[in-house]
Amino acid sequence: MIWLTIILMTLVVFISRYLFLEPRLPLRLGPRTTQFLSYAAPAILTAIAAPIVFLPEGELALQVSNPYLISAILAIGLAYLTRHVLFTTVVSMGVFFVLHSWGAHTVGPQLF
Amino acid sequence: MSSQVLTQQDYRFSAFMLGLRAALPLTLAIIPWGLLAGSFALESGLTGLEGQAMSIFVFAGAVQLVVLGMIGSKAGLGAILIITLLITSRHFLYGMSMRGHMQQLPLRWRLILGFLLTDELFALTGTKPPEQFNRWHALGGGLSLYLGWNMATAAGIIAGQQIPNMDALGLEFAVAATFIALVVPGIQKISTLCAVITALLTSVTCELYQIEAGLLIASVLGMLAGVLSARLFSEPAAPHNEGQST
Repeated sequence: MIWLTIILMTLVVFISRYLFLEPRLPLRLGPRTTQFLSYAAPAILTAIAAPIVFLPEGELALQVSNPYLISAILAIGLAYLTRHVLFTTVVSMGVFFVLHSWGAHTVGPQLF
Repeated sequence: MSSQVLTQQDYRFSAFMLGLRAALPLTLAIIPWGLLAGSFALESGLTGLEGQAMSIFVFAGAVQLVVLGMIGSKAGLGAILIITLLITSRHFLYGMSMRGHMQQLPLRWRLILGFLLTDELFALTGTKPPEQFNRWHALGGGLSLYLGWNMATAAGIIAGQQIPNMDALGLEFAVAATFIALVVPGIQKISTLCAVITALLTSVTCELYQIEAGLLIASVLGMLAGVLSARLFSEPAAPHNEGQST
C-alpha cells in the first residue's frame, strides 16, 4: 500500500513538472500569460512559507513569543539588506533554533 | 578539431560546476527539511527503505511532508493523491514558465530536468531569460539539490531511530527561511510586492479556516494581484520570456 502510494505520488508529481515542457503539447503563451507566470515563484513560495510562520501550531500566533514570526522578520530584514540566500538562511535559522529551544515546552508544531 | 571538442567539454563541465555551486546555499537550506522527511517517515509508520524511496522517486518536500502526515493519520489513497495534486499543481506553472527555456531540448534532457524541477531549481533557473538558460548549469543545480535532499533524508531516517519527536524541533522553519531569502531580494516592483502580500494574507486565511486548496488559491490570487497592480501602476510589461511560444 505504501509502495503503491509512492508510485502514484511519483507519477502525479512528475507529470505536473514535465507536462508543459513537452513541445508536442499545443500551447502558446502570450505576453499576458507570461506576465501572469512571472509572479508564480514569489506568490507560491510566499503561500508555502506564510502559514509556517503565522500559524506554526495551527492557530494564528502573532505574539512576540512566536519564534517563527520573530525569526522570519529577521530573515526578511537580512534578505533585504544582504540579498544573500545562504547568509540569511543560516543566521535566521540559528536565531530560530535558540528562540525555539527556549520555548520548547510547547507542543510540536504541525506541518503546513 | 580535438581541442575544440575538449573546449566544449570544459565548457559543459564548468557550467555544471557553476550550477552545483549556485545551488549550494539552497542545498544546505533544504537539509533540515530533508531530515524531517526522513524522521517523519518512520513516525508515520513507513520503513526506512520506504521513506528513502519517497525522497528518491517523489523528490518533493512539501508533498512528502504533508502526505506523511496523512499516512500517519490513516488517510485514504484517493485523498492523498488529491492533496498531492493540489500541492504539486504549482509545478504546472513552473513548467509553463520554463517552456521557453526547455522545450527545444532533447527528450532525455527534458525528462531529467523536468524530474529535477523543484521550487529551488525554478528559483535558480526560472528567474533568468531563456537565452541565458544552460542545461548543464541546470543539471548541476538540480543534482546538487537531489543528492542533498536524499542524503538529508537518509540522515533523518538514521537519526529518527535514535531521537524521537524530531518534528518538535521546528525544522520546518528552514522552509520558511529559505523561501524568504529567495523571495525578498526579488521584490523589485510594486506589483511583485502586491503579489507577495496577497499570497501571504490569502494563505494565512485559508490555513486558519483549514481550506485544503489554500496553497493553490493563495498562489493564483497572488499572481492575479501582481498582474492587476502592474496594470494599475502602469508598470512597463517586461516579463523575461515575452514572445516565447511554440
